[in-house]
Order: sequence, then structure tokens, then C-alpha cells
Amino acid sequence: MPRNVHIIFFLAVLFLLQPGNMFAGTVTDQVGRTLMVPENPQRVVALAPSITEIIYDLGQEDRLVGVTQYSTYPSEAQSLPRVGSYVRLDIEKIVALKPDLCLATKDGNPKHIVDKIVNLGIPVYVINPRNLQQIMDTVTGLGSLLHAEKAASKLVFEMEKRIGQVQERVKNEPSRPRVFFQIDAEPLFSAGTDTFIHELIELAGGINTTAGEVSYPRYTWEDIIVLQPEIVLISSMAGGLTPEYLLNSWKKWDLVSAVKNDRIFVVDAELFDRPTPRLVQGLEVIAAILHPELFVQDGKKTEE
Amino acid sequence: MNTSIGKRILLITILLSALLILIGIIAIAAGSSGIHFWETLAIMAGKNGTDNATATIIWQIRLPRVILAAFVGGSLALGGLVFQALLRNPLAEPYILGISGGSAIGAILAMLLSLSYFPGVTIFSFTGSLLVLAFVTALAGTTLGNTMLSRDSLLLGGVMMNAFCAAVIMFLISMTRSFQVQHILYWLMGDLATMQKGQLPILLLVLPCFMIIFMLARPMNLLLLGRETAAAMGINVKNIVMLLLIITSLMVSIIVSLSGLIGFVGLVIPHIFRLLLGPDHRLLVPACLLGGASYLILCDLLARLLPSSGELPVGIITALIGAPLFIVLLLRNRT
Repeated sequence: MPRNVHIIFFLAVLFLLQPGNMFAGTVTDQVGRTLMVPENPQRVVALAPSITEIIYDLGQEDRLVGVTQYSTYPSEAQSLPRVGSYVRLDIEKIVALKPDLCLATKDGNPKHIVDKIVNLGIPVYVINPRNLQQIMDTVTGLGSLLHAEKAASKLVFEMEKRIGQVQERVKNEPSRPRVFFQIDAEPLFSAGTDTFIHELIELAGGINTTAGEVSYPRYTWEDIIVLQPEIVLISSMAGGLTPEYLLNSWKKWDLVSAVKNDRIFVVDAELFDRPTPRLVQGLEVIAAILHPELFVQDGKKTEE
Repeated sequence: MNTSIGKRILLITILLSALLILIGIIAIAAGSSGIHFWETLAIMAGKNGTDNATATIIWQIRLPRVILAAFVGGSLALGGLVFQALLRNPLAEPYILGISGGSAIGAILAMLLSLSYFPGVTIFSFTGSLLVLAFVTALAGTTLGNTMLSRDSLLLGGVMMNAFCAAVIMFLISMTRSFQVQHILYWLMGDLATMQKGQLPILLLVLPCFMIIFMLARPMNLLLLGRETAAAMGINVKNIVMLLLIITSLMVSIIVSLSGLIGFVGLVIPHIFRLLLGPDHRLLVPACLLGGASYLILCDLLARLLPSSGELPVGIITALIGAPLFIVLLLRNRT
């Protein structure tokens, strides 16, 4: 395991052991807003599925009184009251739950709705993770808001350890396969540079063929023939179509290297479309696909 | 104005105001978190004994929304009435004539430029509606008085303008990458949920429009007799028509910039009241104003209550009711 992971963990622990001055009433959220939060929030509404997931990861689900429509993970979350979907929040239902804290995400919850909730006197803490490091920061931030510092640092430590293991393995591998990650079908959409998927592909020792300024660029089959990806990863949610259909739609383009060599894989969308600790699992899935020789055998041999 | 018409105006105003207040209270009492009729009455009467969340829901969430629905419904119904009188065409309506579409293009452009709702979005949307209005009336040859107005060419011009506006709107949306798209899409479907409490004062701007239109009710009656007759009765046709067109477009633009595209209100309401009250605009103006307000509050209540979770954009409800009615009217007009 790389040494710097230990150091980061050590610093993280040191940081968390500080007397709780940062949670004494006023906090600054991830978009730079300063807000008053209750000392010990008892009625929390999570305005996005990713936030619900992190609260369960932290073992703080007893504080949760409301979630949004697509909060499907973990399955227990489905029995909590719904307050609309994350883009179309039902403010009336939120207020009726009498929350003492709402947790929102900048990437999804419309700003005017967040403003409306704030104007009704409910504190809203907004998260905005843009990469894996910031997801760990989010876990730490939510951990301190919900008095779950220990669980948060354990979770962050675990994430860092697993990311470190993947990095360690692909470090000396010279091959860097060219990857096309299909997030939607008919029309085809992929992921640009400013996305988690790009970060995961790079960390897993691959090259994202669709890197670029546009976050979710649209592609045609003509573009793909020019791109010549060596590996194609298809999100299982793409276009609401079955995995067989998605795989078949690639089969006829056998002049594409990935098709020729049969390196097309359908991956579980849930591991890639939510900014939560589960992205680390997604990273491991991609790494094992890109470098099977490093992972499959290794995993069998030793359990670190 | 003789006394009997004055009495009728007063009677209709009182009756429809009572209806509006009743529907308004029902709409405030019902919502996604439940229906509490007596509790609502108690809270509105100033008793703060019940819990705080319900009071917040009633005063800060439902009441502003019901007020918005009332203003939007009243303005759109009145807009329809004025266009029908000016163009002497019972099928004219801001939405069908493409005026709403024009103001939507302006509003979306302003939103993409991140201008403030007021005055930015409103000015852009007013400009858009005037451009479409000028084009449609020129196309139909109805501009200020020479040619006989042709019902078909006017409607066709409107339909084409609407299609063109829709294409421009789709173009603008497809060029947008940010998550503003979602907001714009819901706004286009006609949505009262995106309204902010701070935007309520903007609605006061339509009050002078209501007043001016009411004062011009008698000239509108004369216009129905034909332009020559109206001119012979001492009406400055050109000025009156111009004033009404601009005032109505301004009113519609203010409403569209707040609520998006809500169709068919301006068609359904004037028709119902023309059937009930006859063609006198001195009665029809207050009736459409109050009746349109009640109607949209009711449609918005359906939009909030019908889906088991979340809500529908109210424009879908008004179109589901209005479009079939439009077809019925079209068939009746032919025979």
C-alpha cells in the first residue's frame, strides 16, 4: 500500500479529532454558502439519492425523515416518505415533514427551489462533489454535520485504501487501453473530461476516448469508427434498453477494434451515475475489465 | 351607461367574486401534504393554535400560488376576449395566434442570457410577442382597417407562426448544455410551481391593463359592428385597436414570463361567458377576468392533486380540456 495513503489518513484523523468548532452552529457548505445548522439534527431530508446513500453509509438513517423518488439504495430507503424527484421537489411535502436540516446537491437540485426552502426558514446544506477526493470530503462533511465523524473517517479510509490498491496495480502496466464509455443509447452519449467516469477510467489505467470540454457529448457511429476504442463499456441504464439489445447494437460495427476483439461490456449503471462511495466499486469493476491479467488472477491468489 | 347595465355588471361581479373566493379557499386547503379544510379556515382566520408547518404551507406555499393562478387565468381569459373582439374571430387566442410562442422565444433567450425575471425576461418576452403580433396581423391583412379580415388566413398565419416559434424554441433548447434545460422545459409546459414569492409584485403591473381594457369595453362592442360603423359612431378605430393590441400583448408577456405557456384559457372562458351573457363587453370583461381566475385555480388544483406523486404542469390540464373544446367550436362554426 502506498505510503501517502497512510499520511492522508493520519491527517484526516488529526483533522477530525479537532474540537468541534466547525460544527458549532455555523458551517460553510460545498458551494461556499454559510448557514446555521442545528447542533444535533434529528429530522433530515435528503434531496438526492446520492445523499440518502451516504447517510445510510454513515449509519445515520435514524435522522432521515424524507428522501426523493429514485432513492433506491439501500432498499430500506424506499420505505421513507418521498418529497418528489430531485429536479422536481415538492416543497409542500418537505415543509410538512418539519425538517431541521435539508441536504441538497448543486448538480441536480434547481437553485431556485433550494432558495425557496431556505426562505421558508429551513437550513439547506449543499454538497457539490466533482471528483473522488471531493466525495471523500463530502462524506467527512456530512459525517460532522450528523455527528458520525468516526464512521465517516472509517469510510474515507476504506475508500482511500481501495483506490490506492487499484493505482498500485496498474502503475507499472505499460498498456493504456482506449475506452469508450456509453452512458446512453439512441442517441449515443458518452462522458467528457469533467465527469466521474473520466476520472475512473484514468485511475483504472485507461484512456477516455471522449475526453473533452463537453461533459456529456453526443456521438454517432461514424465518430466511433474514427475513434477506434479498444474497450467499450455500456451503462446498463442506457436508453432503457436490455443489455442484449445494447450489445447487439455494437456487433455489426466489426471494423471497430473493441468489436473485433469482443471487448464490449455492460456495467451496472448504479455504480457509475451517483457521486457516492460506491464509485470505488465502479473503479474496481473498470480496472478489472481494462487489465484482467492484473486483477482476476491476483484477486484469487492473495487477499490483501 | 344606463342603470340596468350597471346593475348587471355589479351583480355578475359580485357573484363571480364569491365563486372566485370559494374556489380560492378550496385550493388553499388542498395540496400534496393533505386536505385540511377546517384547519385552513382556522389558520386563515388568524388562529395560530395549530402547528407551524401547516401555517407555513398555507401562507407561504399555497396562497402565493393561488394568487398567481388567479392573475394568470384572468389575464389569459381577458387576452383571448380582446383578440376575439379585435379580430372579430371567435377562435383567436394569444396561444393559438402564436403570440405566446413569440413571447416564449424572447423569454427563453433572456433566461439563457441569465437575465433577471424582471425586467429582463419580461421585456424580451414583450418584444417577442409584438414581433409575432405584427407578423400575424400583416399576414392576415387585418392591419388597421382596410381589407376584410379573413378568419382562415389569420388562423393559418397563427398556426404557422406557432410552428415556427416551436422550432426556434427547440433549437434554443438543443443548443443548451446546462441543466437550465430542465427548468425551461417545465416552464414551456406551463408551470406555476417555479414561481418565487418575490415575483408576486410583478403581477401588479397587469392591474392597469385590466383597467384600460375595461374602460375600452364599449368601443370593443362597437368594433364588433364593423370598422366603418364604429368610425361612424365616433370611435378612433386605429388608435383604439393599436392601444388594445399593445396593452393585451404586454399583459400576456408579463404572464408568460412568469408562468410559461398555458394554452386555451383565453378560448374556453370567453366562449362560456358569451354563451351565458351575450356579446356585451362591459359584462364580458369582468366576467372573463374573474371566471378565468377561478378556472385556472381549479386547473392548477387538479395539476397538484391528480398525480399520486409530484405534480403535472398546469398547461397540460388546460390543453387537455381546451383542445377538444376548440374542435367542437370549429365544427359548430362550420355548420
